[in-house]
Order: sequence, then structure tokens, then C-alpha cells
Amino acid sequence: MNTIIIEGLSFSLPLFIIAIGGIYSEGSGITNLALEGLLGFGAFFGGLSYAILSRTFGGDPTILIYASLGFAMVGGALLALLHALMCIKFKANQVISGVVINMLSVALTAFLANQINASFFGQPSNKFLLEVFPKATIPLLSRIPLLGAVFTDFYIFELIIISVALFMAYLLYKTPAGMHIRACGDNPHALAAAGGNVQKVRFWSVITSGALSGLGGMCFAYSISTTFSPNIYMGFGYLAIAAYIFGSWKIGPTFLACILFGFARSGGYVLVQKLKLPSSYGDLVLTLPYIVTLVLLLFFSSTNKPPRALGEVYDQAKR
Amino acid sequence: MKKTNLIKRLFILCCGKGRHQLLRTSLFCIFLSLLAGILLLLLLGKNPLEAYRSILQGAGILPKPRYAGRKNQLTDFMSLLNYTTPMVFAALSVAVALKCGIFNICVSGIMVFSAFMATVLVGYSDLNPLVAKILVVLVGALSGALVGILIGYLKHRFNMNEVVVAIMLNYIISYVVSFFIQTRFIDPITRQSVAVGQNARLTLFDYPVGNLKMEIALVFPLALLAVFALKFMLDRTRFGFELKAVGSNSKASNYAGIQVGRAVVCTMLISGALAGLAGVSYYLGSNASIQPRVLPALGFDAIAVALLGNTSAIGSLFASLLVMIFDCGTTYMSSRMQVLREIAALITSILLLFSAIGIFFRNLADRFQQEAEEV
Repeated sequence: MNTIIIEGLSFSLPLFIIAIGGIYSEGSGITNLALEGLLGFGAFFGGLSYAILSRTFGGDPTILIYASLGFAMVGGALLALLHALMCIKFKANQVISGVVINMLSVALTAFLANQINASFFGQPSNKFLLEVFPKATIPLLSRIPLLGAVFTDFYIFELIIISVALFMAYLLYKTPAGMHIRACGDNPHALAAAGGNVQKVRFWSVITSGALSGLGGMCFAYSISTTFSPNIYMGFGYLAIAAYIFGSWKIGPTFLACILFGFARSGGYVLVQKLKLPSSYGDLVLTLPYIVTLVLLLFFSSTNKPPRALGEVYDQAKR
Repeated sequence: MKKTNLIKRLFILCCGKGRHQLLRTSLFCIFLSLLAGILLLLLLGKNPLEAYRSILQGAGILPKPRYAGRKNQLTDFMSLLNYTTPMVFAALSVAVALKCGIFNICVSGIMVFSAFMATVLVGYSDLNPLVAKILVVLVGALSGALVGILIGYLKHRFNMNEVVVAIMLNYIISYVVSFFIQTRFIDPITRQSVAVGQNARLTLFDYPVGNLKMEIALVFPLALLAVFALKFMLDRTRFGFELKAVGSNSKASNYAGIQVGRAVVCTMLISGALAGLAGVSYYLGSNASIQPRVLPALGFDAIAVALLGNTSAIGSLFASLLVMIFDCGTTYMSSRMQVLREIAALITSILLLFSAIGIFFRNLADRFQQEAEEV
């Protein structure tokens, strides 16, 4: 049981922060299928910065680990900048732009990782090795039966994610800026009439989603493989999309969806182990979140309310 | 008339209004991405012209300086056609769906599914080669069509976003197929599914023609046929008209008496069948086995290819050829010039990036033209 909770949380929380990124972008009216590419590029950027920093400065890896999280956010934001430009300035089809960004991200990271490893670090590889992220256990709370597992052996980045997530939720629902973002997604003309700048709000929302996805991607890189490698493109970005659609574009329900996905995954793995099934049954477990999403969408897609102006290019002249 | 500067006038010439505006914009996008490729190669310190020539040589468009025994330019070109065949089917699949306003990103998943069905049902049998090959094509198209219908039905009946459904289906198919391959059909050495028999392969390898040994893609004529059939359907038939009408405005089409649901489901049937053909010509043609847990990148590249071809049937054919020339030629180029093979995917995605903003170029050119005319 403890394993399910510990493993489940370390998967759910990065997924959650990526989904919040998606909510920011889509909440402001820009469809964001690019989450997969953004998280991968963020992880690449973080991994690269870690590789460079640890070679030039050496010393204590802990600081570098936290720095790499920051760089991952920068990397995600950089690629998101491209998505924002394509969708807002160049008025490209947002879905297509998202797919292209994903492809570009895969191609670019594969090329750069190979090239940089070959020409600067002198080794033919497409990976950047990372350190194990520090873990912690809270002394007293971890003794609580069952619930204690939440406070046992968790990665420190889970704390970071939770605090960032709380801040983002506060920003979106309790501040004027958040109000503007949500207005942008539902009725951009109303925002324009109230004196807001639709393009600008959308631009920053997309950038934010890139930064959050980068953070989530880096956490995946640490928790799943402790390397950056092309294996980061496992479809977690798409899973995050499923999570926030499932959560009807609201942060609270999305959190529950992410927890459900994470626990379904870790629970399935534990089940496969307990029943002593061959590891290939793990593949069936992996389909669970997707099947759950499909079935639930089947029932809820009529009540599910996406932002009303989602995917529409903002045209000031339109009524 | 005010003297507009030269760059603006050139730009209007490239993307402005007039005949073949779409074609000219596409060519302009190709030109821009080739330019980006040149910059990239210069950054790497390679000679870009030499690199581009090696790409063409590798793809069998230009002759190489020397060939291995029983190979020549023709064999290279035939192998290019072999790799292009699945891309043509996949691009057509995306294009026809886009015409109806549906964004089909399930092509990869459908490819895996149809190839798996064909492999299991026909690939391991010892049927007569002719019967086996025909069955492979039929099974591929049918199983693809089934998935297509499912997506179309879910979209129409339950108003589900087809992109989300397609993404979910992609992963469900990938993992379930991987499960069956790993439990039943795994080849312990290659870690892929057991290779299908020669009788079911849609590509003949090392087939002697004269004193050459070449690859012959048996379904390439079928791909050409599909291109022209689709063009005929879209331009000349009632269904094609309805399909495009639904794509441009489904509410207006409904009001005009077109059965929107039927059009959506039938379009996805065609799109799915084409994706299924792409699957069998990829996994039972140029490859012989399925790698578990991997969605073919070709299915996603096809989206870009269809866009580059302006979602028209003929355009998709030429766009697939162009992208595959890059893909096939890069192997030769990278071995000759010590450039990483990944550069092909990079240039392709830059190309897609530019073709995605083709509409921006057209609008910009129109605006420049207006400015030039007004003053």
C-alpha cells in the first residue's frame, strides 16, 4: 500500500503541474497540444544545464539539481514562446501548431543532445546523466497509519510542485490577472472592452504553460530515469491533457484526475508484481488511464465545458 | 503607384493573390526551410551544397560517384519509392479528414493496429503469395476503417473532441498491441514481433531485374490509384462536395440538408482505411515486424506532409516524395559528410513549422499588395 502511495504521488504531481500549464494556456483560449513537446524540451534544457554546470563548477550537486529545475522552466518557456508566436502573431491553426511543436521538440532535442555530447563532451550518446533527486521523510507525520506514506520518502520536488501549484491556483482564481486570463478564454471581446490586452494576456499564459511543463518534465526526468534521454517522450504530455479535460479545465478536479491516474498506474504495477504476472502485463496497466478517460468522456462530454473561445484566433473586428 | 521596396514585391510574387497561390506559398515555405537547413549546415561547418547533393544522390535522384555490385541509381530510386508508399497513404489519410474539418492524429495508432491484425491473421500463414498479399491489403484497409468509423461515430454521436479520442486510442492501441506481441509473438533476439513470411510481404527485396537487384513496392501503384481516386472523389462527386461543405461549415451544411453525421463517419472510414493501408505497407512492406510500444513517427510526419501539400491529393503525393527524399538521402549524406542523421528530422520539422504559418504569409502578401495598390 505504501509503495502505491509513494510511487503514485511521485508520478501524479509532475503530471499535475503540467496539467496546470495546460489549464493556463487553454484557459486563455489557446489550444495547447504542445505540452508533450514543452515538457521534453524543458527536461532537455534542464539536463543540458546540469551537465554543463556540473562540469564547470563541480562541487555540491544539490544546488545544481535545484538550478536545473529553474533552467527546465526557462527551456519550456522558450519553446512555448514559439507556440505563442505561431498562434497569436502568425495566426496558425493552434492544433496544428501544437503538433508541429511536438515534432520539432523531439527532432531538436535528439539532434542537439547527440551533437552536444559528441562535440563538447566527447562521447557518442543521446543522454545527459543526472543525480538522484534528494528525498525526505517528515519524522512525526510519517508514523500516521496509511496516510503517513504521503510524508514518507517523497522527493523534495513534490513540495516545490505543491507550492507552485497552490500559487498558480491562487493566481488564476483570486487575482485580477487570473480573472483576465479566464476572461480571455471565455469572452476575449469583453476583456478588450474592459481595457485589457487580449494578445498580451494570451501570450503570457502560453509562456507560463511552457515554464510549468518544463518543470514537470524535469521532475519526470529525475523520478523515472535520472537521465535526460529521448525516452522522456512517453506521452505524459498527452496524459496531462486528458487530466485537465477530465477535470473540466479546473485546477481542483484536475488534481483529483492526476491522483487517479497516478494511483491507477502504481496500483496496477503493484498488482502485477503481487500476482507474479510477467512484466509484459504492465502494458495493460498503462492503458488504464487512457481507457478511463475515454469512458468518462463518453458520459461527460456533454456536460464538460471547455473555455468558450478555445482555439479561436482573436479577431478584434469580429463581433 | 508608390515604389514598394524590392523585398516586398518579391514576396508578393511568391505568396500574393493570383494563379497557384497555394502552390507558390508551399514552394516558398520549402525554400525558406532549405535556407534554414543551409544555415544549420554552415553552423556545423559543413558545405551545404555538397550536403544537399549527397541527399539527392542518396535518394537516387542524382547518380552517386560509385555503386556497390548489382546496384545503381535505379535501385536507389526504387527503394525511395518503397519508403514513400506508406507516407503517401498516411498523408492522404490526414488530408481527406482535414477536408472534412477533422484532425486525424490517430494515423500512427491505426497503422500499428492494422499491421498487427494483418500480421496475426495473414502474416504467419503459408498461403499462396498472391492470395496472402491481397488478404494483407484487405485486412489492413478493413481494420483501419473500423477504427476510423469508431472515431467518426464518437465525434458525431457524443460530440467528443476527435483529437482527444485519437490521442487516447493511439496509446491504448500501442500498449495493447505491445502486450499481445510480448506475450505471444515476440522474437527473443530482435525484441520485436516475429517477422512475417515472405509470402505476405508487400515489398519484394533483392528482386533480380536484368543484372540488378532492387526493391519493388507492390502497393505503390495502389497508392497512385488512391491519389487519383481521391482527387476524383473530392472534385467531381456529390459525396466529395458534401464532405468539403461539412468541413467548411457544418451548421450551414446541416441547414442545406446534408447529413453531417454520415459525412463525418464516411470520411473517417476512408481516412481510417488509408491509414490502415499505410500501416500494412510500412510494417509488412519496408519492415517485416512490429516494434512493441513504439508509435511510428511516420504517422505524425504525415500531418505535416498533408499540410505542405495543401491537403490536396496530388499535393500530398509530391510533398511525401519531397520529405522522403530528405529522409532516405540523409543516411548517405550523414555517412559521407559526418553529419548526424537526426538532421533530416530537424529540417523536416522546420519545413512543417513554415507550412503551418503559410496562411500568415498569404495574408501578409495580400496586405502588401493592397498597400501597393492603394497608394
